[in-house]
Amino acid sequence: MAGKRSVEQARNRFQTELEFVQCLANPNYLNFLAQRGYLREKHFVNYLKYLLYWKEPEYAKFLKYPHCLHMLELLQYEHFRKELVNAQCAKFIDEQQLLHWQHYSRKRTRLQQALAEQQQHQQPQQQPAHGNAASK
Amino acid sequence: MVGGLRVHVRGVLSLVAFLMSVMEGRELTRELIEMLALSRSQKLPQTGEEAQILELLVHRDAEFQALMRQAVEQGRVQQEMQALEKEVEKRDSDIQQLQKQLKEAEHILATAVYQAKEKLKSIEKARKGSISSEEIIKYAHRISASNAVCAPLNWVPGDPRRPYPTDLEMRSGILGHMSCLPTNGINGHLPGDALAAGRLPDVLTPQYPWQSTDVSMGMLPPHHANEFGPGHNKENEDDVEAMSTDSSSSSSDSD
Repeated sequence: MAGKRSVEQARNRFQTELEFVQCLANPNYLNFLAQRGYLREKHFVNYLKYLLYWKEPEYAKFLKYPHCLHMLELLQYEHFRKELVNAQCAKFIDEQQLLHWQHYSRKRTRLQQALAEQQQHQQPQQQPAHGNAASK
Repeated sequence: MVGGLRVHVRGVLSLVAFLMSVMEGRELTRELIEMLALSRSQKLPQTGEEAQILELLVHRDAEFQALMRQAVEQGRVQQEMQALEKEVEKRDSDIQQLQKQLKEAEHILATAVYQAKEKLKSIEKARKGSISSEEIIKYAHRISASNAVCAPLNWVPGDPRRPYPTDLEMRSGILGHMSCLPTNGINGHLPGDALAAGRLPDVLTPQYPWQSTDVSMGMLPPHHANEFGPGHNKENEDDVEAMSTDSSSSSSDSD
């Protein structure tokens, strides 16, 4: 009975830490933490270091928002933690993150556009060929 | 061979001594011939002296012959020595050549062994970090399908979807449920989120972004000593409380 209890506790801890580490992907949340002084506490800094285990493949496969790992790495540096107190810093990070997020869809739209243009070029070339065939 | 060399030197010295005595012998012969000539002309009975000189001459001749034989022998030995010296030189150069080749071979082998070791190291490293391609594809599928790493194609500023968990999602997870949330009817994100979103969205049915269907429930976090302090859980609760300026009253569990 006691064994089952501890397994349950461990499971809860797993899910809690999973959620928390992914929250770190949100720059607004980081700004929130910084402004309330959590990032200055030694306990919290140690906890962030402990959370680095999510980088291992057997744990990383549960992450839905992989940006959090990059943020976690940055959070190991004191300079970054200090800068996060500024709202402008958080806003900048947010903007850059969104732009990066949109990178692939932009690339895809560009490719589609290029493909469409290519097809347009090919179409007028095919028309005269049909005309010649018909005249025969 | 050294003994032979010593004998040879002694032989050469005796040859020199002999040459000195040859000079005497010449004198002796001259003396004899003079005496014979004198005795011819004088017809004196000096046979005693003549006999003595003749004997001496014969003796000298015998010595001379012996020394000549010795000289021939020594010449032969000298030639043999020269031949052997040439052999020795040839063998020396052979040994040097072999030494050079050995050094070269050693160098090449050392390089080859080093490269092989490096290759083995990298093979080991690759094998350690190997993951089945199926898993990788599954994971890639999962994070792309939910738009977590790539924006949806129809995304415009104002769309509330984000590459990170939003306020709403954060509150609808376990962390959000850890403290009792007061209910008031105001919808929306935090002020920060609202600015980014551009508008306040309606309450969405809470998604459960945390658990994918194949989360292994046997998964446990690594054991940690309580070095980061006993208060971290409390901090989580504080965060959630402070953040809950409003709440989406989610009635379902996060299981």
